[in-house]
Amino acid sequence: MKNNWERNLIIVTIIGLVVGSWGMYQRLAYGHLGMNYGSFVPWGLWVAFDLFFLGLTAGAFLITILTYVFRIKLLANLGPLAAFTVLVTLMSELLIISLDLGHPWRVYRFLITPNPGSMLFWLVVFIISMWIIYVPWLYFLIREQLIAWGNDGARAGHKVYRFLAWGKTAYTPQDRQQDHRRTRFLSYISLPIGVIFFGAHGAIFAILHNRPLWNSAMLPLIFIMAALLSGGALITFLAYLYQPDDELIHPLGHVVLLILLSFLFLEALQIFVGYQSKITGIVTSLDLIIIGPYWWAFWIVHVLIGSLVPAFLLIRYPENSKMVALACFLIIITFLAVRLNYLIPDLAVYKLQGLQNTFFHQRLRPEYTPNLNEWLVAVWVISLGLLAFLLGTRWLPVIQAGRGEEEHV
Amino acid sequence: MGRDLPQEDPLVRMQRDLKRALQKKPEDIKWGMVIDIAKCIGCHACTIACVAENKLPPGVVYRVVLEEETGHYPQVRRRFVPRPCLHCQNPPCVKACPVTATWKTEQGAVIIDYNKCIGCRYCLVACPYAARTADFGEWYTAETAELHGKLYGQKAAANGYEAHPATEYGKKWPERGHGSPVGNARKCHFCLHRLKVGMLPACTTSCIGRATIFGDRTDPHSLVYEMIGSPRVYVLKEELGTRPSVYYLK
Ligand code: SF4
Ligand code: SF4
Repeated sequence: MKNNWERNLIIVTIIGLVVGSWGMYQRLAYGHLGMNYGSFVPWGLWVAFDLFFLGLTAGAFLITILTYVFRIKLLANLGPLAAFTVLVTLMSELLIISLDLGHPWRVYRFLITPNPGSMLFWLVVFIISMWIIYVPWLYFLIREQLIAWGNDGARAGHKVYRFLAWGKTAYTPQDRQQDHRRTRFLSYISLPIGVIFFGAHGAIFAILHNRPLWNSAMLPLIFIMAALLSGGALITFLAYLYQPDDELIHPLGHVVLLILLSFLFLEALQIFVGYQSKITGIVTSLDLIIIGPYWWAFWIVHVLIGSLVPAFLLIRYPENSKMVALACFLIIITFLAVRLNYLIPDLAVYKLQGLQNTFFHQRLRPEYTPNLNEWLVAVWVISLGLLAFLLGTRWLPVIQAGRGEEEHV
Repeated sequence: MGRDLPQEDPLVRMQRDLKRALQKKPEDIKWGMVIDIAKCIGCHACTIACVAENKLPPGVVYRVVLEEETGHYPQVRRRFVPRPCLHCQNPPCVKACPVTATWKTEQGAVIIDYNKCIGCRYCLVACPYAARTADFGEWYTAETAELHGKLYGQKAAANGYEAHPATEYGKKWPERGHGSPVGNARKCHFCLHRLKVGMLPACTTSCIGRATIFGDRTDPHSLVYEMIGSPRVYVLKEELGTRPSVYYLK
């Protein structure tokens, strides 16, 4: 049964890659010409996906908090799966944001001419830190299993596993202890790095004093919550698929509900404060979200399908793993609307009176709707990420290695 | 009738001011601009001169003329506010750029190194004055019919003009294609390439109302210095603390 849906999903991702390749062709051959963003709304769908992917990495962060701070030790079993998810989502994020750059090949500039005064520079530093933490973390979590698979001559590709285990054939209790120590250490440092990393996403927007909707100390906090919500929902959903153990799913369901309610509270607070401030820039941006042409993205996609229905399911059926997984699935698939609603409305309001009557060109308008090319590129990147995830969970021992991990907490 | 005609065109004075400025040590010059709203008639000549000088492609514009309407019918007023890059002395765009591709020169002009810019467009988001536009690689001749021959058709038309970018920053940029400045953020640079050879910025010389005054704002004898001292002076969005080098006269 499991193999069936996995195989079907692999086929879907391959179709996604084929269909999305048209958008990729447009992007690679003609640059940004075929895309809809412009100079007044310079960031569009791909930046929203970038934020979406970065948020999804928070699953591992949540698991670490729950295991090490709240001592829900059993959740440590999800460690390898969570760490692997981080790597796949980071890869997807890197890919889509590179495509959004005007000159992706110049990213080495971050190294040779960095600007430590720029929040964007720090975000890149923290993205690199995430790689530095989660690659060895995953490795130490699955090393024992890699050695075992490398020793299993009957297993296809056992030589590759032997290679990945650096030729090691034996795994002694000392090795195990050492690996546990290392993963524990990496978990600890992932906590402060994670808080700063997820806060830094929000800070990129929050520090801009010319953007009234973003410019508040609350935004980084909202971004941390948003990351925990989408990342937590993703890891819960994956746990249901790969390690369907009620003892894992139920506590995660409770946590996701708590984060969902906190997130909605913060969001409501932001809207309330924004409207009460009566600052034209803020009110116009909020109007765009709530009663603008994309009102349905807020009310139907985010509030109804992405918040109220999941909250109902999580409150009504907290002990039903299937319902918990369904609630989490709804949160994940609707979360792009949340990201778009944070990104576009502030950009989509003219910040200088009279600007709309000066120079007419489609790149100098505040209206933005992602076009087919942009969606196709997104489909391509998601399909690649999903394919990497599906093949990774097949070919790497990320599920098997998790079992019994709670011992080391 | 009793009133003296102006003795000298402000352009002539500015030209003299410029000559004097260029004799100073470069680090002692601080370029500045004053735009007299009362004199601007909204002809958009500066916008067009800038587009022509810098051979700006479609969708890229350095200097727009904002049209502000105030009041309610029948008491309505209209005024024109030309808006180049304001060359802020505390520029948010410079702080935003993650790879130091944009910075403030010692003469106070905020410029971009096209070869360093990665095209992240964070500076566009950070500029409070919407003074930056991105070059998405568009062509005016994109819709021109393709014909064979060296004189007519899309290719010939493009090769005759558009394919060769302007020598912004005094550099020879490669033929327009995928390379810079396509894919970059772009903005007004106070026509540094003209200043270097003793010419005023294109917007200044083309301003038929003489509403645009340019010069070294640290030179007490310059017209721009004089204008900055006017009681009518103000800057856009002062509350943001960007301290523009472009001032306005009410
Ligand atoms: S007006 Fe905008 S682009 Fe020009 S210096 Fe100021 S912030 Fe930078
Ligand atoms: S678009 Fe270029 S100049 Fe602007 S912030 Fe990015 S790298 Fe810097």
